[in-house]
Order: sequence, then C-alpha cells, then structure tokens
Amino acid sequence: MLILDILTTAAVLFIVSAGLLAIFGVLKIINFAHGAWLTIGAYCAVIVAGLGLNPWLALPLAFLVGGALGGVTEHFIVRPLYQRPLDAILATWGLGIVVGQLITLWFGRDVQFTPGLLSGTVDVFGISYSLYRLFALGAAVVIGLGFAFLLEGTRLGLTAQAVIMNETLAKGLGIDTGKVRLATFVIGTGLTALAGVLLTPLTSVDPTMGVAWLIGAFMLVMVAGSSFGALAVACLVFGGAQVIVSTFVSPILGGITVAVLCALVLRISPKGFARA
Amino acid sequence: MTEAAAMPQATTDAAPAKLEVAGLTSGYGAIDVLNGVSFEIRPAEIFALMGKNGMGKTTLLKTILGLVPARKGEIRLDGRAVTGTGPAALIAGGIGYAPQEQPLFQDLSIRDNLRLAMKSDRHMKDGFERAFGYFPFLAERRQQRAGTLSGGEQKMFILARALMLRPKLLLIDEISEGLQPSVVQRISSVLKQERDEFGTTILLVEQNLDFALGLADHWAVLKRGGIDDAGAMEAATRERILEHLRI
Repeated sequence: MLILDILTTAAVLFIVSAGLLAIFGVLKIINFAHGAWLTIGAYCAVIVAGLGLNPWLALPLAFLVGGALGGVTEHFIVRPLYQRPLDAILATWGLGIVVGQLITLWFGRDVQFTPGLLSGTVDVFGISYSLYRLFALGAAVVIGLGFAFLLEGTRLGLTAQAVIMNETLAKGLGIDTGKVRLATFVIGTGLTALAGVLLTPLTSVDPTMGVAWLIGAFMLVMVAGSSFGALAVACLVFGGAQVIVSTFVSPILGGITVAVLCALVLRISPKGFARA
Repeated sequence: MTEAAAMPQATTDAAPAKLEVAGLTSGYGAIDVLNGVSFEIRPAEIFALMGKNGMGKTTLLKTILGLVPARKGEIRLDGRAVTGTGPAALIAGGIGYAPQEQPLFQDLSIRDNLRLAMKSDRHMKDGFERAFGYFPFLAERRQQRAGTLSGGEQKMFILARALMLRPKLLLIDEISEGLQPSVVQRISSVLKQERDEFGTTILLVEQNLDFALGLADHWAVLKRGGIDDAGAMEAATRERILEHLRI
C-alpha cells in the first residue's frame, strides 16, 4: 500500500513538473505561469463537464488550448526576455496572476467539481486501490517515454538538444532557433494544461489551485536540472518522503516535505541530481 | 558526384556567387570590432583574408552570415543586399560556414552532427554520401561521438559538413590552424577541386600564409577592424603580407 502510494504520488508530481522541465531544459527560462496553465487545463475539464461531454475529451482540448495560449505567450511575452531570465520570471509570474484573475472573472471564485475520469478501485496484490491513481502512474510513464522519444527519436528533439548544447553553433548551421523555442514552449504549456486535467480527480478546482503545485514543481525542476531521468528520480525520492511523512508524522508536514527537502538538497549540492 | 536534383539542400541557383562588402561596421556591446570594412570577391574566386589574432576576422565572417548584426554598411550577395538577413535564410540561400570555435556538437554522433546541418531529413542519405565522399573515414565512424575525432579529423569533418550542402559561397574560419602538413594539403586539394568543379566562391580566413598563398586568387589584410592592404596574388605577395603579419 505504502509503495503504491509512493509510486502514484511520484507519478502525479512527475506529470505536474514535466512541462515546466521541458521549457526550463531547452529555454533556460522558469515559466512561473506554470501554475496558471495547470489551472487552465483543469478549467478545460470544467468546461467539458459543463457541456455534458465525455470527460476524456478534456485531455486533447486542454493540450490544444494550453499549447495555443503558450504559443501566444512565447511570441509576445517570453521571446524578448530570453537574455533576461530574471525579467522572464517576473513577466511569467505576472501573467500567472492575470490568468488567475481572468479565470475568477469568468468562473467565479468558487471551487468547481468535475466528474471523475475513472472511478472505483482495483485489487492489487490483495489490496484494493484507487483505479485512477494507478492510471496516473501509467500516464506518467507514457509522458516520460513520450518525452524520451521526442528528444532522442525525432528531428525536433535533435535540434532542441543542439540548441541546449550550443546555440551559436546551431544558428551557424542554419537552425531556426526561434522556431525550436516556440515549439518547445507550445509543447511544454500544452502538456502542463493536460496535466491540469489529470489533476482534477485528485484536487479541488479553483482559480488559485495552480500556485501550490507550482512551488513543488519548481523545486523538483531545480533539483532535476534539465534531465527527465533526474526528474523521475527526484519525484520518486521526494514524493516518497512526502508519503512517508504524511503517513507516519502528519499530513500537514507531508505537504511541505517536497519543498523543504528540495531546498536542503540544493543547499548541499547546488546542481541537484543533474550532476550524475 | 550526384546531380543537382539529388542535393539535400539545393541552392537557389547554380551560378557562382559574388560577395560585396561595403563600409561594414559591427561588434559586440559598446565595441566596434569592424570599422568600415570594404572588399569584393568575384564569382568562383578564392579570397584569403589574412590578419593577426583579434583583428576581427571571425567577427567579419559572423557578420556576413548574420550571426552578429551589422551596425553600418552593406553586404551584397550576387548584387542583392542581404544585410540583416538571418543565418537560417542565408544558409538556405547557399552560404556554407566552417566555424573555428566550438565547431561541432561533441556529445552527438557524427551522423547527428551532419543531420543538424541539413534543412530536413528528406535527403539525409544523399547528404551523408556526399559528406563521406570527401573524407571516407567519416563513413566508418558515423555512429561515434563527434568528440572522439582528433583535431585534424574534426577540421575535415567541418569542411565535409559545409560542402555537403554544395554552397555557392563558402566561409571558412582558420581551418588549417594546428594541423599537420599532410592534412592541410588534403584540405587544400579538396577546396581547390570544389572550386574548379562547381565554381564555389570561397572566403578563407587564415593565419597560415603558405596554405592561403597556395589557394587564393586575391588577398586582403585585416588590421584594427579595417582592410589595411589588398591585392592579387603575385610574386611579391608573400613578402608584402609577411610585413603586415609581423608584430
């Protein structure tokens, strides 16, 4: 039971952080509007439910809406700020506030409820366990493998690696680095919105829901550097610690475990897990 | 060699390119590295730009390619102003570039390094074949990390990567630096053959006088951000350039 809790908690952390890592890894920009995109995704689920459609439709819808808004954001807000990462943090933080307010204007401040994507439990090794949490574990694996394939197996991934390694050379070879950045931002934000949908059965949906997740995701990405493998390890270690603290000490302390432990790791080893 | 139709990145037209640079000023931050540079390279000509370290040779190549923005002046390719055009468009338009500093992705395979220089994966095989045709040792080692190549092999790889796209204008930054005479000889013959066969216009930035003298039709010396002296290759050229390169 504990192991399943650890695995599924790590999976949820991974799903939530992957989009942030994709953007940070390629663009070296911390997208502090990350929380807002989680919220946008979650409200896509609210809209789909409100229209009485199949709740699974929220996944592609969130990816499209999140990616499209991400593209607009990259073009108008982030693009001029690549050389000024601190300003980019401020700008995306501000954007996150604006998005939160717009959602409040539209949907109100109240907590929204969405129908579960999967309900019920399933027996695993004699224990009955939430089917949805197991699904989240599968989703995390799919997202992780999807990114591995995108990065190692496609031309876009290869050019993204080239931009990460040596942007001047990439430009000198005729690679349109602006397009690579745009594509990365669109994929990262689309994925983040999709993660927002996946969160809806596990958390309440309100206009500020993204902020709490943002802090955890941010800390995990800082520890992971720009590697998805390191992110998976970080999610397992810190997610595991969170579950253990919540179970044996107190759920409230468990909630801040990830942030505190990440801060400690970064204090001791500034490069986090990425050094290996 | 294969026909034009099989080129991985067919250049817009096959005619040799003419490059004109007029009053070019560029630099980094508050400093102008180039200050009013003017010269002209005729179609199918090999042009050697000589100069000591820190005189702005690399900056000049980077400015022509659009990697460093021009602050003043004009760059014309075949009579058409290309000042302000980005590197992606210029390379697609037929400019090849063999950089000097950090010229390849050490951690990627030779194959992926070549792939990155192509516009798409569509004509990947033709491109590889052409690149390996210049220096066959690359074919056997295509799966290896580019960082495993020795200094001389890296230079040959960089040249093959640039020639693979059959550019009409080739910008080469100190390719002979630190190489054994046999490798320099080999690079020299590849460049000469490329020009004779395809009419490739070549701008050679060099400090190696013998290498440059053996190849170039015209030369110029860059000093303190401007062209100090220039001319055609003649008997007395060697002494004249040496005079400029002396400290």
